[in-house]
Amino acid sequence: MPEFPPRRDDTPTFPLPHIEHTPPSGISDHPEFHSLRRAQRRFGTRATILSVGGFLLYVLLSSFVPAVMNQPLFGHLTIGLALGLGQFAIMGVTAWCYVRHMRTRVDPLARGLRSRLHENENRRARAAAPPQGAGQPGQPLRQGTRGFRTW
Amino acid sequence: MVTAAAIDDSSLQLTFVLFLTVVVITLFTALLTAPQRDEISEFYLGNRAMSPLRNGLAMCGDYLSAATLLGSTGLVALTGYDGLMYLGGTTVAWMMVLLLIAEPLHRTGKFTLGDTVALRLPRQQRPVRVALAVCILAITTLYLVAQLVGSVALLTQFTGVPSGTTRTLCVVVIGTFVILYASLGGMPGATVIQIIKAVMLIVGVLFTAGWVLHRFDWNPNALLERAAERSGTGVTFLEPGLRYGGTVSNKLDFLSLELAIVLGLAALPHVLMRLLAPRSSSVLRSSVLWAIGLVGAVCFGAGILGLGATALLGRDTILDTDRTGNASVLLLAHELGGSVLTALLTCLAYLTLLAVAVGLTLAAASSLAHDLYSEVIRKGRASETEELTVARLSGAVIGILGMLLALVAWGANTATLAFLAFAIAASAILPTIIYTLFWRRFSAKGALLSLYGGLLCSVLLAVFSPVVSSAPASFYPEADFAWFPLQNPGIVSIPVGFLLGWLGTVLDKGPAEEAGTHEEFEVRMLVGADD
Repeated sequence: MPEFPPRRDDTPTFPLPHIEHTPPSGISDHPEFHSLRRAQRRFGTRATILSVGGFLLYVLLSSFVPAVMNQPLFGHLTIGLALGLGQFAIMGVTAWCYVRHMRTRVDPLARGLRSRLHENENRRARAAAPPQGAGQPGQPLRQGTRGFRTW
Repeated sequence: MVTAAAIDDSSLQLTFVLFLTVVVITLFTALLTAPQRDEISEFYLGNRAMSPLRNGLAMCGDYLSAATLLGSTGLVALTGYDGLMYLGGTTVAWMMVLLLIAEPLHRTGKFTLGDTVALRLPRQQRPVRVALAVCILAITTLYLVAQLVGSVALLTQFTGVPSGTTRTLCVVVIGTFVILYASLGGMPGATVIQIIKAVMLIVGVLFTAGWVLHRFDWNPNALLERAAERSGTGVTFLEPGLRYGGTVSNKLDFLSLELAIVLGLAALPHVLMRLLAPRSSSVLRSSVLWAIGLVGAVCFGAGILGLGATALLGRDTILDTDRTGNASVLLLAHELGGSVLTALLTCLAYLTLLAVAVGLTLAAASSLAHDLYSEVIRKGRASETEELTVARLSGAVIGILGMLLALVAWGANTATLAFLAFAIAASAILPTIIYTLFWRRFSAKGALLSLYGGLLCSVLLAVFSPVVSSAPASFYPEADFAWFPLQNPGIVSIPVGFLLGWLGTVLDKGPAEEAGTHEEFEVRMLVGADD
């Protein structure tokens, strides 16, 4: 087993029991793994609440305080219609932030852990059996044995 | 339902020729690209090396149904602001897919949602797979029937209320095409038709929207003003409450509908299947971004079409043709570009519902063949050839089932059926997805309880709602057993689904999963096994 730096005390949002049961990949208690999980989960939850919750709030406001939403801004554009258009803008901004966040905060961590994972695997000479039930996505799947064409 | 045929004969003939041409060409392409070998991965996932743009187009094609093209624009044309809010929800729904679901699901998935759950709950995967298959079957059948019923409703725009023979012919022809695409073409074939449909839909909607704006000298304010003027309701047309206003239960009904749409998308089986198709999660990310942009553009265009229909035709013309407003786009096309544009848009509508039906049939077939047959009945010992045969057969069976149900329920409201499918997806399948991905204690009992409970709850609430009885537009207008006041069950059934999942997990005293299962799942979900 490679030596890991000591766990940061603020990391475990979820305590991981049974570590001595050999966590199959050996990196699930790695501090970088925790910050990866936190980075991805926290941003995802917040951004979802902002965009989806914001939209539901807009629906509620339109239903229950129409007087506010009907204030004209200019011409026939009311506050309600402007907020509706604003939903599209919020979505665009959220999507852009998400891509930037993933690119700068999440992807590098995941890449580092992935190479560490491969290192571990090689070191253990693939002692750990692959999980039963489902295969690995992305791995080349078994080729069909016969080459004929079926419709 | 309809007092007069909306569109003349010449555009019906033109539509027929156009539709057949497109279908024949795509069918040939689909068969040429059909799985070459007996490989289930190719049948379920299609060409995995596609570019993000093409994946995004396919997602957009899977998602946008004829309900968006005809139904939502009709809603905008008749109710203005409320219809526009509905279109907004259609777009916002993609945010949750992008931000929370897509990449974790892609990294942990293989062919179906059942595979992801099995990775997380390996010991008790079989009952969970059965429950998932039942829910997926319910959702896809409802949605498929909605599409086929929509094809009859579309025919009504041309010929008035069709005779029994015409009706049967229409459903059987569309249904047969669906089976051919899904069973023979598999995912590669479905992808071909999705992409062609998406391109046509985007071009068609944006072109017509541009034409409408051109009529108003590209001045949105003039469009809004004229729409309000000719809506018969004045400025209230641009204010909330025309459709879902008045009583509190009416307003809650709308919130319930929006909740089901915004949350249901992330759990629709055919959309989930699409998410698994790209090879790497970085391609998936760009694909979903493309899909959001394209869906947003189409919804934006559809809003302009709806406003344009009211502004150029007036509310009375639209209402006289079809009480539900579904004819508004076709009437608008006739007003703008005569029978050629009408024929083009009608062909587009048919192609749209055909493509969505293909995606649904394929999702149902893969769930039946992979989850139910291969993993549960044969306990994972089925050969690929065998599983593929079952997948093709189940595609045909589901298609035929959909046709029969559509012929029985041809008078049903397409939108109601589709909304119920969304509500079931959001209350039965979404809790399982969210808990599987993000809650480490989640257990099989919780999954079973939320899947069956969410399904039962939403179906029962729909049965005891004004959709089925007591209202003039319901299935049994004379009977009255509608003690649930809302048409859309989502606002109750979605929390119930999540609550049952939590309750089942907390109360689960059965044998736990092996230690380390969740850790391994989490590592795969965040780090991934590939790219």
